[in-house]
Amino acid sequence: MDVTFRIRRQNPDVPGQERPYWQEFSLADVDPTDRVLEMLHRIKWEQDGSLSLRRSCAHGVCGSDAMRINGVNRLACKILVRDVGEKIQVEPILGLPVVKDLIVDMEPFFDHYKQVMPFFVNNDPLPEDGRERLQTQEDREKFDDTTKCILCACCTTSCPSFWANGHYVGPAAIVGAHRFIFDTRDQAGQERLDILSEPNGVWRCRTIFNCTPACPRDIEVTKAIGEVKLAIRKGTNVGIIQTSAIH
Amino acid sequence: MTSLVLTVRETLRYRGAIGQWSWVLHRLTGVGVALFLALHVIDTSWAVFYPALYVKAIAAYQSPLFTIGEFGLVFAVVYHAFNGIRIAIFDYKPELWRHQAQAAVAVLVLTLLVLAPVFLGMASHVVDFYFTEAAIAGEKMFDVVVFSILEQLPFIAGFVAVLAAAIVLAAVYSLIRGEGGQRGKYPEASGIERFWWSFMRLSGILIVPLVFGHLALMHVVQGVFDITAAQEVAGTMSSNGTIGAAPSAVEFVYHRWSYAAGGVFIWRVYDLFLLVLVTLHGFNGLRYVLTDYTSFNDFARRTSVALCTVMAAVLLAVGAAALFVPLEKDIIDEAMAATAEIYELRGEELPAELEAYLSEDV
Repeated sequence: MDVTFRIRRQNPDVPGQERPYWQEFSLADVDPTDRVLEMLHRIKWEQDGSLSLRRSCAHGVCGSDAMRINGVNRLACKILVRDVGEKIQVEPILGLPVVKDLIVDMEPFFDHYKQVMPFFVNNDPLPEDGRERLQTQEDREKFDDTTKCILCACCTTSCPSFWANGHYVGPAAIVGAHRFIFDTRDQAGQERLDILSEPNGVWRCRTIFNCTPACPRDIEVTKAIGEVKLAIRKGTNVGIIQTSAIH
Repeated sequence: MTSLVLTVRETLRYRGAIGQWSWVLHRLTGVGVALFLALHVIDTSWAVFYPALYVKAIAAYQSPLFTIGEFGLVFAVVYHAFNGIRIAIFDYKPELWRHQAQAAVAVLVLTLLVLAPVFLGMASHVVDFYFTEAAIAGEKMFDVVVFSILEQLPFIAGFVAVLAAAIVLAAVYSLIRGEGGQRGKYPEASGIERFWWSFMRLSGILIVPLVFGHLALMHVVQGVFDITAAQEVAGTMSSNGTIGAAPSAVEFVYHRWSYAAGGVFIWRVYDLFLLVLVTLHGFNGLRYVLTDYTSFNDFARRTSVALCTVMAAVLLAVGAAALFVPLEKDIIDEAMAATAEIYELRGEELPAELEAYLSEDV
């Protein structure tokens, strides 16, 4: 099949390309099961070497090729041509400064992530046997979903609250916080709840639900944000999430 | 502004699901109702403080432009109410999130189901007004509207004053606090946003029955056209006697607020609850909307917060004053003179009773 790509391009270093513009590319011999990322490679390698995009593993694990594809945030390496059709529109994710073409500056995104202390805090001495800190399967289940985040920014840059206000900590950082807030072995849960109770913390979430379908890892993002809100409201991370999972 | 323009443009371009469009509609209806609320509370307080102005305001509300606006307002309130309940449900029960899209559709269906009979009821008042009660030529109606709006310039002056006050407050606050305070480690955390989050949901749910009752009484059972035509005021059991044969809008308000059941002015109590809850809910909501789009600039953000605070304070003060002031019969005399003016503008003859009332007065 033949496919037409329409790509949003911008290059601050080249006169005449400082402002974003659309460029079209045609590709022949495209298989419906080809990934969009491979097609972008073909354009870059066969037609226009100046096209810039970011990708590393190309298998949906590293999270570096998030883009807005046909109007929705996706990983280019996880979406197939047959999922989006013969006319494919690709543009950078929104809300972060564009560096060049499809590459955005991820630093503001990671700054927000760092704000929520996304690391394990436990100052107690290690258990006697010197091995792991144990927890029940039910307790592990509470934050299982939010361990899956790959920090691709699909959720945060699908959020109208984040588009409007770059100070808003955003869904991804809240997911990152959720992973530790509801970990019974962690001891900095309250501190994270205080951070997220700021005006630009969870309260900027308007329960719009754009983030949940945007997640390439199928994390229940809005639900996780909701659980953090309830934990802040009740002043504790205990008793917010009920699990019955026994594997 | 750039933030607002970008969000509007990209919201239209991003292919979000129904949740995104529910949010857009929730915001638009919320801002619309909040702005109407400002007009409504101040206008209604004129029934007590400037009866002649109130009569003219009602005359303007009876014009076709405002009739269209009234249908829009009722849609906005009903949709905002149902969608607000939806949001509260998924905020308090996040584990139900898989049903949110169905719920968004249900909100639309429910809104239409409720609006169908309501709009029929409202339309019957409009039809009554144009075909049986008043036969006003189009150009005369235009005169009435222009005249009424000109008479209400003080309202716009008041709004400008509130805006100026907000800018001054924000400037003073910025001088004291300095710039910054946006990012970094929870400088502004004080639990206040947590309070407002819970308040919005709780007040929203309390407001729904209150405001639906208010809409039913004032837009369906008796509409804005009945204010100057009805012989009785719904919800007062006529215990205070019927309205005079040449009723004025002020008399309608007078009878409603004078009605006491068991020694309690129930409509004043009802209106007070409505005033407090709706004003706080509405202007905190407006603060959410404005600060979303002004957070890139400290001064703009603080001005937005101050604007919402001052507006809410003014509305609460003016509204509460109107509800607590003892009603004097002489406000009706003032209103009668203004009513006569409206009749003249419309090119209608004064009803004999009104003429008699006015000459008696003199």
